[in-house]
Amino acid sequence: MNKQELLACFHEAVADPRKLMDKYLAEGRKVVLTAPVYTPEEIIHSMGMVPMGVWGADVQINEAKKYFPAFICTIMQSIVELGIKGVYDGASAIVIPSLCDSLKVIGQNWKYAVKGIPFIAMTYPQNRKPAFGHTFTKAGYEYVIRGLEEATGLKFDDEKLAESIEVYNAHNAAMRALVPALAAHSEITCAQRSDIFKSAFFMRKEEHTALVNELLAVLEAEAPAEDKIRIMTSGILADAPGLLEILDDNGMQIVCDDVAAESRQYRTDAPAEGETALDRLASKFCAMDNCSVLYDVEKKRVDKIVSDAKAAKAKGVLVVLTKFCDPEEFDYPLIKRACAEAEIPCVLIEVDRQMVNYEQARTAIETFKDLL
Amino acid sequence: MYTFGIDIGSTTSKCVVMEDGQNIVGTSLLVGGIGTRSPELAVSQALENAGVTWDDLTATAATGYGRNRYEGADYNVSELSCHGLGAHHTFPTVRTIIDIGGQDAKVISLDEKGRMNNFLMNDKCAAGTGRFLDVMANILVVPVDEFAQYCEKSVNPAQISSTCTVFAESEVISQLANGVEMEDLIAGICSSVAVRVGNLAKRINIVPDVCMSGGVAQNAGVRNALSRSIGQPILFSPQAQLFGAIGAALYAYQKQVKK
Repeated sequence: MNKQELLACFHEAVADPRKLMDKYLAEGRKVVLTAPVYTPEEIIHSMGMVPMGVWGADVQINEAKKYFPAFICTIMQSIVELGIKGVYDGASAIVIPSLCDSLKVIGQNWKYAVKGIPFIAMTYPQNRKPAFGHTFTKAGYEYVIRGLEEATGLKFDDEKLAESIEVYNAHNAAMRALVPALAAHSEITCAQRSDIFKSAFFMRKEEHTALVNELLAVLEAEAPAEDKIRIMTSGILADAPGLLEILDDNGMQIVCDDVAAESRQYRTDAPAEGETALDRLASKFCAMDNCSVLYDVEKKRVDKIVSDAKAAKAKGVLVVLTKFCDPEEFDYPLIKRACAEAEIPCVLIEVDRQMVNYEQARTAIETFKDLL
Repeated sequence: MYTFGIDIGSTTSKCVVMEDGQNIVGTSLLVGGIGTRSPELAVSQALENAGVTWDDLTATAATGYGRNRYEGADYNVSELSCHGLGAHHTFPTVRTIIDIGGQDAKVISLDEKGRMNNFLMNDKCAAGTGRFLDVMANILVVPVDEFAQYCEKSVNPAQISSTCTVFAESEVISQLANGVEMEDLIAGICSSVAVRVGNLAKRINIVPDVCMSGGVAQNAGVRNALSRSIGQPILFSPQAQLFGAIGAALYAYQKQVKK
């Protein structure tokens, strides 16, 4: 396929993930939903099922408001809204991790709000670096496995998990290679870049890896395009079409990111060594860092944002803050200060899953452009 | 060379005609912003005041909330950049600009050469904006432009503890019912806006000189309360509401000079 055809594939997956889900179901595959931020997809994959990421959608939230206070993350609310409205019907289960306070709440509400799709909790440890953190994580995965076996009738096999880990590590490598490749090809818009990352949550990993590698080969063969305004993005999500359109309108190019739904997913591989494949997978989580929902008293994430921005020659950092996201809000003052010390302009825009009017964001981004 | 700037805000439309990027030769300011006929009328009025026609203009720039829907301009520029340019033109020593408009508040930081080096915008919330004052003026049946006179008479400003405009509205009604003096209530309302915007400003490094821009700058009650809140004197120009349009006209001029 040529570049445009590949980009169209990614866009098609993002434009209608339900179509993909129906295709998997028609092929006789079971689908398990995976909520943000980190879910052990490899386990689901190893049991022969298709994990599909659910990060909500830009929808009007009505029914879910029965279950949540007003000032809570709209990613969570929109996941429940879509669940209530039957958008996920046919899924065998949903795995929801416990990585922030809002996520802890959603699982309990899901049980009452969405009857047909069993909720499986993935409880992660706060302290993941010591040995007990590994033990705790592994126990959490074993709980998920029991839940999946009960919900689907399928059985877990550690050898199969080892094979799935290879599939996921290969995908991680492709996604990591994608970032510098896209940074060199400014003709790929911010919206198209988002499609590539977002489609990874919906497509089977083998297929997505193959498409990304094909795109990398096409980009490698082409001469790099002239730079636009090079920026770094940071936040939980940066996929709102209205926001991406403004970035593209203003000639901006995302040359690296610290977005939870994008690069943060792919930074860490499961290690090659481990007593069992499940131990390897637990080690992967314990090795993860540099994320607002992963406890780190030293906040090394902040330095990483600055060093990544410098390495990618980003002229500025755009923090896309999901409204009412406590973990991201706690980190923002530190990010702002670190960027100021490094003389990297940093601007914040707040987004949520119910935004209709992006004019304030447009003003902020246009001013950011003037600043850069 | 004549250049033209139009600032289409949420509640007003402002235009400026400049000669050679220095002298303001015509202005207009009309109530009614985006989506109304005011921008069109403001253009005609400013041209008439300047004694020039549209064809005499070398370049034009639009700014403000309605800039993207205005098709007549050569350039579209964000209002923060324009307020920075306009304020620096009026007060060359200014380093911090606090802009309180009809529906939002912004703080702009300039370097010693007048280049913007940082900015902050408030959240999408009416509190700390001109809208907050308008809502309160409606409840009190006192025009906003008379607020300053009431503030001067206040002995014991009322506390408005609610941040949210809707809750503050209820609170003001309760205070009216409890017999709080009008001047104390209005002083409390002005102070509420000032404290909210002052706290926004404190998130940026406030470097003197400080000036205000936007429609609320005309309100001495808010201006004085804001000065107390940030601990700095605030420069005031009667043209503060035109800073955005002045900046747009300057931007158009600078673009032409660079050509």
